[in-house]
This record gives sequence, C-alpha cells and structure tokens, in this order.
Amino acid sequence: MTNNTPKLQYGAISTGDEAPVVSHLLTRTDLVKYAGASGDFNPMHTDEVAAKEAGLPSVFGHGMFSMGLLGRAVTDWAGAGNLKVYGVRFTKQTWPGETLSTRIVVTGKEETAEGRIIIADLALLNQNGEVKLSGTTRVLAA
Amino acid sequence: MNLKEYIGKPTGAGTIHVERGSVSRFAHAVTDANPVYHDLRAAQAEGFDAPPVPPTWTFSSGFLGTWPEDQPADPTGGEGSPMMKIMRELMKNGGLVLHGEQEFHYHQTVQCGAVLHWEGKITDIYTKESKGKVMTFIVMENVFSNAAGQPVVTEIFNLIHRGA
Repeated sequence: MTNNTPKLQYGAISTGDEAPVVSHLLTRTDLVKYAGASGDFNPMHTDEVAAKEAGLPSVFGHGMFSMGLLGRAVTDWAGAGNLKVYGVRFTKQTWPGETLSTRIVVTGKEETAEGRIIIADLALLNQNGEVKLSGTTRVLAA
Repeated sequence: MNLKEYIGKPTGAGTIHVERGSVSRFAHAVTDANPVYHDLRAAQAEGFDAPPVPPTWTFSSGFLGTWPEDQPADPTGGEGSPMMKIMRELMKNGGLVLHGEQEFHYHQTVQCGAVLHWEGKITDIYTKESKGKVMTFIVMENVFSNAAGQPVVTEIFNLIHRGA
C-alpha cells in the first residue's frame, strides 16, 4: 500500500487548463534504448538496413515509446501513482529527427467513489503539428 | 479461418517479478528521470514503499520480469497466443500489422518488489473495410493481479492487420 497523495488540487483545476509541455527530439539512440528496455526488438525500429529493404525511409519509433513519453508528461503533471486511466490511439508513425511535443488539456472533472478525478485530452505532435497519438486520461486530484 | 471462434480464448498467463533495475532502465528509456522511479529515498519521500512503475511498464513486463521457475500452467496448452496464429495466417497474403489502440486502467499502484500474476485473452475480433482494404481488428485484455488476487492493472489493446 502507498500513502502517495495526489499532486493536483481539484479546486484549482479548470476545464481548458493545460499541463506543462514535454518536448523531445527523437533519435535512433532512443529507439535502441527503448528496444533494450522493453524487449521490443522489431527490426523496423532498430535496423536501418532492414527498414530500408522493407521500403521505409528509415527506422521508425515504437508506438509504445511515444506512449511512454506522453505518459511521462502526464505523471510529471499529476504525480506518479495518480493515474486511473490512460489510453491512446496510435495515429501516425514517428521518425528520427522529429521533435515530439505533448499536449494535455483538461476537459472536465468529477467527484467519484474512487476519488476526485480530473479528465484530460492528450496528444503527442511533431514540430509540424502532425498528431502521432491522441488519447485521454483520468487522474486523481487532492 | 472463422475468426469469431477465437473470441474469449486465452493468449497467455504469467508470474511477473517487479524488479528495480528493469523499472529504472525502462523509465530512462521513455525519457523519465523522475527520481521516484530510480531512488528509493525519493519514492519514500512521495509516500511509496518502493519505486512505483511508469504508466506503460506492465506492457513490457512479460519480457522484463518473467522467471521460468515459477510460471503458471500455460493456458494455451503450449500453442502460444492465438493472436500470433491469426496474424501469421493473415500475413500469408501480405499486409501490415499495426498497434491501433492501447489503454491502461489502474486499480492499485504497482511498486518494485511486487510479484504479479497476469492473464490475457482475446475479447473481440472484427473486420472493417477502409480505402478498399480489409482491416482485421483483434482486441485483447491483460489483467494483472497482486499476490492477494486483487486486480492492479487492466490493459485493453488492439492489433490491426491491414490487408495488402
């Protein structure tokens, strides 16, 4: 059991509020690190030769790396241990050289049996505003 | 292949050890330097007994925390996940496998030192046509439970085969 307390103050959060943006320049090293740390060794993410042979311009990012990066922005904002739901749809592939930025916008809040909940829309976008992931989260507030 | 007959079939089961080294390495790999994932003192200062896991950690936990000596009986009877069988069959005619959606429902915080039990199953299969291509959706659910048998995390996700 934990005594972790929510970081967000329910009364101080309003619809339309945005969480701090996390930006990250995606590199091939990120993909190798994520492959090693997650066990996803699909060569389309780590082997440039194999990716080009498959007709791709280069290796591309693991969807779950993107979800991990966006998840980091959610927990930076709401605190680790305070997520109730975190879901995404993978809409576009990510490519090395892109700068990925998070967008977290509060869409509502409600008092429930499981606690005070803040609901937010989520997205991960590249430098041109192309949406790579879109999703929602429900996080606990104090 | 009648795809509907696979609905409800188990995809696997396992015992997972939540080890600090793998959790810390995974957190770094998703760019998360938050000390709660890396330093016991920081975790305890935030009210945890031990470092918690990052939000998507359980998705990789089969690779990260499986010890062969304490695994449960294989619910697929050694056949492996029927999802793999279905995808292999569909890929015979080419196409592409995509991860479409991924959702986590958190019931309790998972912390290092925990031993979890997981069970997976296929919950739905359906096809759609998009731009003249057949898309086959396989929806799966993995439930992770703690030593007391209480669910701690439920993952709901799909894989999509897009026909050539």
